[in-house]
Amino acid sequence: MLAVNDVFAVYDGAITALEQVSLSIGPGSLVALLGPNGAGKTTLLKAIVGMLPFERGEVTAGDILFEGASVRGCHPAVVSRRGIALVQDGRQCFRELSIAENLRAASLVSRQGAADRFEMVLHYFPFLKEMLDRPAGVLSGGQLQMLVIGMAIMSKPKLLMLDEPSLGLSPVMVQSVFDVVERLHREAGLTVIVAEQTVPRLLKLATDVYVVSRGRIVMHAPPSEMTEERLQRIYLN
Amino acid sequence: MTYILQLVTAGLAVGSVYALIAIGIVLIYKCSGVVNFAQGAFVMMGAYLTFAASRLGLPPVLAVTLALVLMAGIGVLAERVVLRPMLKAPVVAVMMVTLGMLIMIRASCLAVWGPDPLAFPRIFPDGALELFGVFITYNYLTAGVLSILLSLGFLGFYRFTAVGLMQRCAADNPRAALAIGIHTSNQVSLAWAMSAGLAGVGGTLLATLNGLSLGLADIGLIAFPVIVLGGLTSLGGALVAGLLLGLLQSFTDGLLSPMIEDLLRAHTRIYSVGALQQVVPYALLVAVLLLRPQGIFGRKGSERL
Ligand SMILES: Nc1ncnc2c1ncn2[C@@H]1O[C@H](COP(=O)(O)OP(=O)(O)OP(=O)(O)O)[C@@H](O)[C@H]1O
Ligand SMILES: [Mg+2]
Repeated sequence: MLAVNDVFAVYDGAITALEQVSLSIGPGSLVALLGPNGAGKTTLLKAIVGMLPFERGEVTAGDILFEGASVRGCHPAVVSRRGIALVQDGRQCFRELSIAENLRAASLVSRQGAADRFEMVLHYFPFLKEMLDRPAGVLSGGQLQMLVIGMAIMSKPKLLMLDEPSLGLSPVMVQSVFDVVERLHREAGLTVIVAEQTVPRLLKLATDVYVVSRGRIVMHAPPSEMTEERLQRIYLN
Repeated sequence: MTYILQLVTAGLAVGSVYALIAIGIVLIYKCSGVVNFAQGAFVMMGAYLTFAASRLGLPPVLAVTLALVLMAGIGVLAERVVLRPMLKAPVVAVMMVTLGMLIMIRASCLAVWGPDPLAFPRIFPDGALELFGVFITYNYLTAGVLSILLSLGFLGFYRFTAVGLMQRCAADNPRAALAIGIHTSNQVSLAWAMSAGLAGVGGTLLATLNGLSLGLADIGLIAFPVIVLGGLTSLGGALVAGLLLGLLQSFTDGLLSPMIEDLLRAHTRIYSVGALQQVVPYALLVAVLLLRPQGIFGRKGSERL
């Protein structure tokens, strides 16, 4: 479904953030993309959706194929329309707009079936129902994380990518976020990539694990071979 | 009493044109974080373009529409050619560039149409309407009603349409907007187009009231009290503040100035305080900034001038 082939990426024309990164992700998989701070997880996800040029970054070599067609160099709007949604780090939403407007805005890329997807979002996140008219800025960190996942659903993705969704959340909140991710994967049939530093729960859900360190893929293994200790050793190396 | 009503109607009519112009400034600020000092130049240029179009023999409605479209084009051009290359520059530098645009556009109009005020073609019929003893000329009436309709129409567009929603997303959080597939740079261009278009119509309306001259560009300064009252981030605030400013000027002109002049004449040799109308808005601006730095309608934390 998604193939990243020998991708190199730089910031400011000089700082190399990705070196010869390759991934191959089949439909229906749930991939854990692990790596320590500054490893290049965010850079890789942004490279896939075409957002690097907006951060003074650039993919300098390699190719990115989604469903057989290259998306390298495409505008994020185009990539989004092809069916890749990125839930960015930092829970990016529109704080001054109402929750309903946030969701509606996210559905503008593919309006067909938006009403059904809206029902689906409310089904997964029932607490939003009572808050639809309130500005998104009033939500707590955990609620915001739910909202931005809901926004991603509204854009009708085939591939859903989440960048450190657990960051700064309480263990209980992390638990419910991953519950939702699992249900989206299992019930809605989405292909999912989750970038995290370590979340034991994620290793249990994942069908495939990639580990990034210093801009390179240093390990690709089934989750059964991936233990916390092994990960620690890679991180400390 | 009738006199007061007279002042109110005149103030509201002019104020609604101010509102139209101020909405444009707020729109650009929300989308690109830049206070556009060239807005006054857009106002003036719009009026000159309407003038030129009617000189070519176009009927008023077509002349104004053509000017609006041309101004929208100029707005896009300004954003694409002048501002976009400065995307990474400090905000102050960008504002200086808009000041440069003001000077450039003014100079171009001076070169083409000369320094003297021109007789603006009559767009609205002569004569006046009398309502409860209050006279309002068709000029003022149409300018006021048209501005209010345009302003409200624009606010409705911004609030309720899909494109308006994209505008608000791009203004609120460009990074998030990009991720959900909104062409943020197109939205910024669109904001400049709409803003310059509104300014152009506002300029035409002002010219029907006060005549056509380079002085129309000064309205860019008048709009700043409006912005500060409204708090720079609220379109509705800009609308209300524009009306307030119009009222304020009208009352200064019609009540305060004559009173002060009487007083001065009795005790001094000063006969006229004609410029008071220009001073009051700025005195108010300072007062508002002292009391409520975020403006009357702005939220706390929104940026200050
Ligand atoms: N906008 C930028 N400009 C320059 N360098 C950047 C930029 N963003 C990231 N980098 C650099 O690229 C490298 C990879 O960063 P990236 O954000 O992709 O890591 P990450 O794995 O997401 O880390 P974290 O877990 O902390 O989010 C880092 O060395 C970082 O300093
Ligand atoms: Mg990151």
